[in-house]
Amino acid sequence: MAAEAVGTQAPTLFLRKATGLVRGWSVRDSMIYACLATNFVTLAIYEFAFAAPAFPKGQILTSVVISGIWVSFLVVAYAGLVVTIPRAGGDYVWQTRILNGGLGFVMAATGWWFILWLWAPIYGNILSVQFFEPIWATLKWTWPGGGAAWFGTHTGIFVVSLITIALAGLLVSIGMGGYARFQKWCFYGGLFGFAVIVVLLLVNSHTAFVNSFNLEAHKLFGINNAYGATNKAASKIAGYAPTKLGFGPLGPTMLLVPVMMFFILWPNWGATLYGEIRGASDFRRVLTGMFGGLWITVALTVVFLLLIDKTMGWAFYQNANQANFNVVSPLPIWPYPVLFAGWLVHNAAFQVILILIMSLWFFGWVGTLFLSSTRVIFAAAFDRVLPDRAAEVSEKRKVPFYSLILMLLPAVALSAVYAYNTTFVKYTYDATLVIAVTFLFSAIAVVLLPFIKKDLWQASPASKIKLLGVPVVPVAGWVTIGLLGFNLYEWLTNNSYYVNLHPSLVFMGCMYALAIIVYVVAFYVRRRQGIDLSLVNKEIPVE
Amino acid sequence: MKIFFATDIHGSETCWRKFLNAAAFYKADLVILGGDVTGKVMIPIVANTGYWQTTVRGETIRMETREELAEVERQIRGRGSYPAIVTPDELTVLSETEGEVDRRFSLEMMHSLDRWLDMADGKLRGGEIGCILNGGNDDIFEIDQMIESSPCVTFAEGKLLDLDGFSMISMGWTNPTPWDTFREAPEDELAAKIEAIATQVPDMGRAIFNFHAPPYGTGLDEAPALDASLRPMHGGAVMKPVGSTAVRDSIVAHQPLLSVHGHIHESRGVKRMGRTLAINPGSVYGDGVLQGALIDLDAKKAKVKRYLLVNG
Repeated sequence: MAAEAVGTQAPTLFLRKATGLVRGWSVRDSMIYACLATNFVTLAIYEFAFAAPAFPKGQILTSVVISGIWVSFLVVAYAGLVVTIPRAGGDYVWQTRILNGGLGFVMAATGWWFILWLWAPIYGNILSVQFFEPIWATLKWTWPGGGAAWFGTHTGIFVVSLITIALAGLLVSIGMGGYARFQKWCFYGGLFGFAVIVVLLLVNSHTAFVNSFNLEAHKLFGINNAYGATNKAASKIAGYAPTKLGFGPLGPTMLLVPVMMFFILWPNWGATLYGEIRGASDFRRVLTGMFGGLWITVALTVVFLLLIDKTMGWAFYQNANQANFNVVSPLPIWPYPVLFAGWLVHNAAFQVILILIMSLWFFGWVGTLFLSSTRVIFAAAFDRVLPDRAAEVSEKRKVPFYSLILMLLPAVALSAVYAYNTTFVKYTYDATLVIAVTFLFSAIAVVLLPFIKKDLWQASPASKIKLLGVPVVPVAGWVTIGLLGFNLYEWLTNNSYYVNLHPSLVFMGCMYALAIIVYVVAFYVRRRQGIDLSLVNKEIPVE
Repeated sequence: MKIFFATDIHGSETCWRKFLNAAAFYKADLVILGGDVTGKVMIPIVANTGYWQTTVRGETIRMETREELAEVERQIRGRGSYPAIVTPDELTVLSETEGEVDRRFSLEMMHSLDRWLDMADGKLRGGEIGCILNGGNDDIFEIDQMIESSPCVTFAEGKLLDLDGFSMISMGWTNPTPWDTFREAPEDELAAKIEAIATQVPDMGRAIFNFHAPPYGTGLDEAPALDASLRPMHGGAVMKPVGSTAVRDSIVAHQPLLSVHGHIHESRGVKRMGRTLAINPGSVYGDGVLQGALIDLDAKKAKVKRYLLVNG
């Protein structure tokens, strides 16, 4: 049988040769995926362009650190769930198993499926402003009509959204095998690009940056003294004054925390665990992967912000974002700091290469857009909530045709609305909120786990992690509920987030209503077919 | 006829007890366990003077009464491990003597299965409720005879069974795995084994294939891709098909009414393969949850009337 003994001194367990006894995976790998999910370039830098205008008195740097600390508790709570019920289905499985089948479906369908239709045009917009626009501008390409500016037109936004959807759909179809390898290369390439920017911002003075900025802006857009013009344009915005980079005041800084969730809330995005012999080391492994990814992102962000302050000038960065947000910027392009850093080297080829290298942060990340949706659709179809066809995969091409339709068609439709209806853009601010609600119910599941699934909890390595005799994971669950509760309260009551607009709330409400309708219809249709969906998660008595 | 099918409980006594209760709970006429009955892990409980001590999932537990010992044994068995009470000297012998762990493993497996079959006798009302078991690739061959001799359980391996007008053939063997387990064979040998029993089926339109290995490339056989050291690649994010091509080809060729599988715990799912409904209910035995499939067969129309995957 070729058995194996496990234990450092006296063996504490013996394993015999049997299927599925795998070794723990590389923590470094899961750290990389967590870091790509909390993407400091595609999400953080993109979000900062909105954060400063919304809360000009808040301190981004401090709020990033506060958010990092707070989200660390979410990481602990999710690590607890992962080692207790290690299923690839994530929130859907945890919530259906611990809370309720219907509730789990509604939360997973809205948070991991419907809302991702809305993320498609957001991804598309990020691709526009961080890839197409800066490259077109740098190379002074005039095709299609208007050159770089075309990507900001209705048709431009729609076309780039379609490219993004096609790319994400293709990656779902061909599988994760090759893409996972590609993601790692993207991560290392992206880090290299970041290192180049760090060196550029470190070795150049503020004066050198101002001169370079003015020179390149003049060369590309024919603007004189673009640096001063940007500051001047922002100074005319009523009620706005730039602040210095620092640590306070706390009040407005805390209001930035819900904004930071746009990038920092996702270290748990790909958390999975395989293997049957689980112990405390697995908890540490899962925790380290997510925690490492989260704090690498925080560290990169802090370094980047400090360097912006040193070389570009913090007030200028805020002004550029303010002017762009209020559509008064003299620059006809989104204020992408990577583009600006590249201008320190007066060579178009170098600038384009730098943008291309930094775009690896996007291409290593875009494939995850619809992956979770496929899992939820498949899981719901196997639970008979969705029609069987939703989980069908074509024999020849191995393409999940129907689930792709369920993901792609609504995403295309919403991208069209996003592109051609400017009011709808504001609905995308719901994108983080809906997923946060899903996470909230998983946090509630963590807190209730020791009471609802006593045996499961007692057998979990997570229950053994204690501080001063108190189990850490449920406490982390409570802190996570606090984090998400605070965010939800602010999103829903503070107008500055644009989330509580009436049509926006109606849009979100429709998503939840759709999920509830799907579940209720499925429940009764299946009942007429003689299938009782309430049996899916009903526990068989042991005795 | 209503069937409850579960698989891969790997020594979990909680799952076994639930399996025995499943017929009453789901109002099923027949319960089938599709192989991999035995556990993979043995946990030594060291008997010292006046107390016992063991380590479970990193936590050291000291037991001072027989009741405490029984409770810890119950918990260990519940999750699919075998508690082995040993003296400190026996533990040394176990860990240092070649073949001693295997011998003790076999002993614990047989002892445990013996108890399980005794339980079955009571729960299944002495054979009144149909119960079918067969081996899986992880099961040692010694269990076959033991199950065969049980009065209330039918051992299905390699047999053609008649189930109220439906025919079921069973095979616990799988295509080779990286772990080189007991019932593995190359694909051509598997194909030959399948054909040997499939030819006995009178009507494929009323046939059930109960093959432990899932059909290759159907989504019922997706396992984490592993590197040479059996470590999941890319943080466990990449899955790959590991099922049997012989099983797939036999389903495609014979088109039985129903095909039930196990083996790949992560791949809970359902797949239509032409006329055949193929199901792998998956397994989470370590959580004490019995995943299974409730399948309602229409004897008149010879079709699967309805099915539901459950987490009992």
